[in-house]
Amino acid sequence: MKGTFQTTGEYWQLMLRVFRKPEKWSVFWKQFWKESQKLIIGSLVLVFIVSVAVGGVICLQTANNLESPFIPKYYVGVMARESLVLEFCSTMIALILAGKMGSNIASEIGSMRITEQIDAMEIMGVNSANFLILPKIVSATIFSPLLMLMSFLIGLAGGGVLIALTGIITLAQYIEGLQYAFNQWYIFYSMIKMAVFCFLITSISSYYGYYAKGGSLGVGKSSTQAIVVSSMLILIFDLILTKLLL
Amino acid sequence: MIEVKGLYKEFDGRPVLEDINIQFRDGECSLIIGASGSGKTVLLKNLVGLYEPDKGDILYGDRNFTRMKFGERKLFRKEMGMLFQESALFDFATVEENIMFPMDFFTDWSLEQKLDRVNFCLKRVNLENSNKLYPAQLSGGMQKRVGIARAIALNPKYLFCDEPNSGLDPTTAIVIDRLIQEITQEYKITTVVNTHDMNSVMEIGDHIGFIHKGHLLWEGSNKEIMDTDCQPLNDFVFANNLARQLKRNR
Repeated sequence: MKGTFQTTGEYWQLMLRVFRKPEKWSVFWKQFWKESQKLIIGSLVLVFIVSVAVGGVICLQTANNLESPFIPKYYVGVMARESLVLEFCSTMIALILAGKMGSNIASEIGSMRITEQIDAMEIMGVNSANFLILPKIVSATIFSPLLMLMSFLIGLAGGGVLIALTGIITLAQYIEGLQYAFNQWYIFYSMIKMAVFCFLITSISSYYGYYAKGGSLGVGKSSTQAIVVSSMLILIFDLILTKLLL
Repeated sequence: MIEVKGLYKEFDGRPVLEDINIQFRDGECSLIIGASGSGKTVLLKNLVGLYEPDKGDILYGDRNFTRMKFGERKLFRKEMGMLFQESALFDFATVEENIMFPMDFFTDWSLEQKLDRVNFCLKRVNLENSNKLYPAQLSGGMQKRVGIARAIALNPKYLFCDEPNSGLDPTTAIVIDRLIQEITQEYKITTVVNTHDMNSVMEIGDHIGFIHKGHLLWEGSNKEIMDTDCQPLNDFVFANNLARQLKRNR
């Protein structure tokens, strides 16, 4: 219990150092674009592949399980849309990103900690937490909703491709399902969730990296902890946000 | 001048440094020597503010570093440069970007001015034309020289070197030692070097402080160290048979 309180306290102390005005905006923007490229652009392929596959699988499973003649065929499209927008494109993608981004961030900052690169910045008078962590958090939080949107569209397209290839229902039925009783708020709800999840991933992974100790083993341990804690908090915040926003 | 007064530091109730009183003079290369675990790195980290002393004061001229507020200390850090044991060059940046790093934060120089300064610093450490290389592409000695170039980028008044020769062959180690000494004298910097390398002691030890089990046991120069009667220092300096034989033959 003491460990949890200590970790929480250290995390918020670190966040207080992170959320300060950057010393030089030009340096911040340079880092911001660099991090956006690494964290967001670098995740596009992974998100694309997973979304296509999951979109297809949802359509296939829904179609196979809708055997009742009283349920219209276009419900496959409805189910695919709702599953993707409500949970998959935010929560599942965030859990996947917790592994990719989380380990990347924790190991990068952790290596800098154990090789004294962070100490070198501190001695120069640079706020290392602000320089290293703020661009990561800001870029991931701003751009991740776009990633969610992309995942949603690709997932729907993946479902469409599968339907066209297998012919389990017609493409017209699928598109009708996608349009049926569409609630726009779900898109915003999912984008908000994704932004919160990516804030959690980047800040928690940065925290574990920043306080890494004990050589390369310590860096490995901090990466693992970053992924585990981020994933758990994503699931907890999924519940909280769903209760609050829906 | 840097003055350390009554410095005490402990970790988990175990004292690591006790009642350290020492002065480091301007334009002089001061060495802190001692066995591994004696507390010399802790002393250096207290000097640069990576650790906070539990008791005592550290004065830079007439400014008390231990009592400085956060903002004041941040400004003051621009007067410090540090060379780390493993160089601590930023992996994500080229040699040029590493040296430019403090300039990006603390100057309003144009890119041309920054590049001029980078080239000047690289020339000073005899590493011209290595601007676009990454730290991973450099040898240990070259990394140390880039570390020195980065440390002097903003013309610091105080230079701290933590075991600058670790992992280097004796010839390269002497090159690094001489470079540190030349820079110290050329720019009238107050330099503090942490080392357990006896070549450094003989090469650049104008002023030496010997730390043993957290206490400052001896102070003097590299000439005086040969004739000291401080037993722990003799055990440290003349640790091998050859050194003991040389001492007997003096």
